[in-house]
Amino acid sequence: MGLEEKLPSGFLLTSVEKLAGYMRKNSLWPATFGLACCAIEMMAAGAGRYDLARFGMEVFRASPRQADLMIVAGRVSNKMAPVLRQIYDQMAAPKWVIAMGACASSGGMFNNYAIVQGVDHVVPVDIYLPGCPPRPEMLMDAILKLHDQIYVEKLGPNRELVIKNVEAAALAALPTHQMKGLLA
Amino acid sequence: MSTEERGSFGTHGTGDTSGYGGLVRTEVTPGSTERPYGGYFDQVADDLERAYPDFADAIERVVVDRGELTLHIKRERLVEVSLILRDRLKFENCLGVSGVHYPADTNRELHAVYPLLSMTNNQRIRLEVSVPDSDPHIPSLVEVWAGNNWNERETFDMFGIIFDGHPGLTRILMPDDWQGHPQRKDYALGGIAVEYKGATTPPPSERRSYK
Amino acid sequence: MTGTSNPYIPILVIGAIGFGFAAFSVGVAAITGPARYNRAKLEAYECGIEPSPQAAEGGRFPVKYFLTAMLFIIFDIEIVFLYPWAVTFDQLGLFGLVEMGIFIATVFVAYAYVWRRGGLEWD
Repeated sequence: MGLEEKLPSGFLLTSVEKLAGYMRKNSLWPATFGLACCAIEMMAAGAGRYDLARFGMEVFRASPRQADLMIVAGRVSNKMAPVLRQIYDQMAAPKWVIAMGACASSGGMFNNYAIVQGVDHVVPVDIYLPGCPPRPEMLMDAILKLHDQIYVEKLGPNRELVIKNVEAAALAALPTHQMKGLLA
Repeated sequence: MSTEERGSFGTHGTGDTSGYGGLVRTEVTPGSTERPYGGYFDQVADDLERAYPDFADAIERVVVDRGELTLHIKRERLVEVSLILRDRLKFENCLGVSGVHYPADTNRELHAVYPLLSMTNNQRIRLEVSVPDSDPHIPSLVEVWAGNNWNERETFDMFGIIFDGHPGLTRILMPDDWQGHPQRKDYALGGIAVEYKGATTPPPSERRSYK
Repeated sequence: MTGTSNPYIPILVIGAIGFGFAAFSVGVAAITGPARYNRAKLEAYECGIEPSPQAAEGGRFPVKYFLTAMLFIIFDIEIVFLYPWAVTFDQLGLFGLVEMGIFIATVFVAYAYVWRRGGLEWD
């Protein structure tokens, strides 16, 4: 029913937003989507030394229905892309995606016929984490930044306002090929 | 036979200043080797000749290079010779099928290479079959060594060699409806142009003409 | 309260609390959860590929499973008829033996037919 999205904007909605944000970020359950080398670092992040259990995230759910967060760890081949999309679709909202590593963010060193050049061609990504592979501490930093993002996420009419503003800013922004970089 | 290759990465006319343009490489492809082969290769060749009387007809070339024996076989005799190698000469283990593509060798473009291992005798040899690109059919060795099943599928996927008699020859690495065979020499690497601020770099296969 | 009241009251209370907690959780989740439909969400989970057709929704399965189930039913019922005979074996005597022999011979005809027609081959 999504009752909390139908509340009118105001003090009540802000309190509900804060509560929902706090609850959601503190028990974020990741879905296992370790594909390649980044998966090893993800496992290391979940293991004893760099512990993800202190954020309540040591349960990597095998079933997407019980997961909130999909950490795409590794390169996604063209054959794997529909599987990735199906798993993402089968997750229940609210859901977030971290593209872990260079291959998931942009295709990495594999610019060829077999690898999807960035999983944002397939699923919407919230955090891009560079690295080949990123250290477990870097993964935890990405997760903590995601926690901050989740905490301030708005609901209902506030959310629609945010979406409208972000879209207007993106449409008005300077496109990449018109910016001045080191190569031009 | 030996070929001389000058320059590297097709550097002519690209403004490449790396110095690889002055490289001269001699590539030697070994021809047929004369007896004695050395090591246990003589014994293997003698055993095979005794067990398979049509040896001279089926084996096109015997090459001993860098301590390894390669038997080049005609594709029609492949199954017979494999059965004899497996049963009489005790080469129980076949380490899969690899494909090779030589676009310059007309009528012998696609090779399939089978490394064999005999655990009882501690011997390793290699079988090689050459087929033209216009008729890329090789009899399947799945009945001889069952482990070749997926290896033959992979060789079909990557090179386009069709194995007759294979129980289910489909693509295994690429998506099922992919066109083309990626590991051939004339298959472009693919990829997309990389966008930076204010400039784009072309995809890897178009940056330099790779030989 | 002393120990004179019904000793099962605490179990009932715990059961009610448990049921109430579960009902509360499911109810609150149903009310406050967002409802975003997509077709893949309602399908069976099969590691990301399209789920294979199941028998319940019209998918086909090899007939050997059906045959095995049917043969089991028939011979299981035959065995069920043999149990009372085993229990009252002494009272029935020779009459029972001949009667059950005819019964088993009749079912044996069916068994021979299935055997010869290849119904017992798995592959």
